[in-house]
Amino acid sequence: MIDNFALGLIHLLLGIAVWRLLLRPDLDRDPDEPQKPVAQSPVKPRASPRDRR
Amino acid sequence: MIDLFLTAFVFALFAAGLRKPFIWVLAYVYIDVLAPQKISWFLLQKFPISLLAFGLAFLGWAYADAKSGSHFTFRQMLIVALLLYCGATTITADFPEDALAKWDWVWKALVFAIFLPLTLRTRLRIEATALVMTLTAGAIIIPAGIKTLASGGGYGSLHLLVNDNVGLYEGSILSTVAIAIIPLALWLAKHGTIFRPDWRVKLFAWGLCFACALMPVGTEARTGLVCLAILIAMSLRDVKRRFMYVALISAAGLLTVPFLPASFTHRMETIGDHKADQSAATRLAVWQWTIAFAKDHPFGGGFDAYRQNKLSVELVDTEASGNTTAIETTTVEDKARAYHSAYFEMLGEQGYPGLALWLLLHILGVWQMERIYRRHRRDPDPNAAWIAPLASALQRSQIVYLVGSGFVGIAFQPFCYMIVALQCGLWAWARRHESPRVTALPLRRSRPDATAPPAGVESVA
Repeated sequence: MIDNFALGLIHLLLGIAVWRLLLRPDLDRDPDEPQKPVAQSPVKPRASPRDRR
Repeated sequence: MIDLFLTAFVFALFAAGLRKPFIWVLAYVYIDVLAPQKISWFLLQKFPISLLAFGLAFLGWAYADAKSGSHFTFRQMLIVALLLYCGATTITADFPEDALAKWDWVWKALVFAIFLPLTLRTRLRIEATALVMTLTAGAIIIPAGIKTLASGGGYGSLHLLVNDNVGLYEGSILSTVAIAIIPLALWLAKHGTIFRPDWRVKLFAWGLCFACALMPVGTEARTGLVCLAILIAMSLRDVKRRFMYVALISAAGLLTVPFLPASFTHRMETIGDHKADQSAATRLAVWQWTIAFAKDHPFGGGFDAYRQNKLSVELVDTEASGNTTAIETTTVEDKARAYHSAYFEMLGEQGYPGLALWLLLHILGVWQMERIYRRHRRDPDPNAAWIAPLASALQRSQIVYLVGSGFVGIAFQPFCYMIVALQCGLWAWARRHESPRVTALPLRRSRPDATAPPAGVESVA
């Protein structure tokens, strides 16, 4: 009886927690991080004449 | 009914992982802590759910999770070194079959401790892992607490969800872990975002902490009482009114004593009198044996090397009546006694190198959490208000574990490695989020070009 009560309560809380996690975008990405990783440009920028020296 | 319920819950977790693969990591934590396959009699025992959960967690991370922010920390490398070293000592173990049986669960705990920090890339993931660990341990602790209140418990007689003496279902281990999760439960109640702090969350957290504090009473494990005293002493650091805190704790302690079962007070009285108590006296004899064993076997005897010990323990029973004191000495022969201490477990099984690795892993953890705490305790950013308290909570949990380790052989307890993994995750997270501020500072003051404009800005001259 006591075991079932505790198991029920904890699983209810775990279930709510998982449900809330499923709806949270910050589970996979902190809010202060950029939306997408910055993709590197396939074309390299031309080096300026000063850099070539 | 329970069988069906637990099976449905486990598979619902697996299904939820299809949407957010990190849920599979949480599913593994849940399965490893609670061992639902041991509570269930039929359905769950048919599936290797622990293996399934780890496989899904790893594949989910490898194929579907972003790796940005995943860092391999120095302490994870220490765990890798410990894993390899334990593997080597298992091959050359004095008791190969017993060593293999222990290795079978130790490597899983270590591999998961290496893997978990890689997935803890965000604040919410760190919190979710702490929450699942705390709640799941609560599933064992809460009923045990209620039974203790109702019946008083007893050494080895408190009926837990599983009466198997495995994992957290062993009295001394449960009583240590229960005290170790109190700081985490309090942190979750104050800084949680999954369950926002309100009166219900606080009521539940304090109820859970009370059940945790009852574990040393329920299991009559002396270790738990020592751990609780250490935790209360550590809490003094953050308490504003220390005098009031000490007075209240002392009053609560004194008020509790009359309600404690007589068997508990009798057992706790033996903490200081090891000569009359066989369990404590044998422990000291095993530790002496281990030190002597390590002199001959500096690289350890492999897992379960204690099986070769033969001990002769002298028990001194003193009985005073009037002016005379009768001293009775009896000699007890014992053999194959377990270490009853993680420090001696490491020394006997893994030798000096293993003990050094293990100590370094944990001492570094205490130091890293202290560093994060000091760096963030006066952080003006309200979004960073959770960092210092979490570092402090994880540090306290670990110190409780290290104190409990002095009296229980829990050097490889998976739950404790999850705390280590949480620390690694928090350390990597904090380093990553501190780095912009750190790199904004000049690296060397004496650099001749320190006054030069930053790259990309043209000098007028």
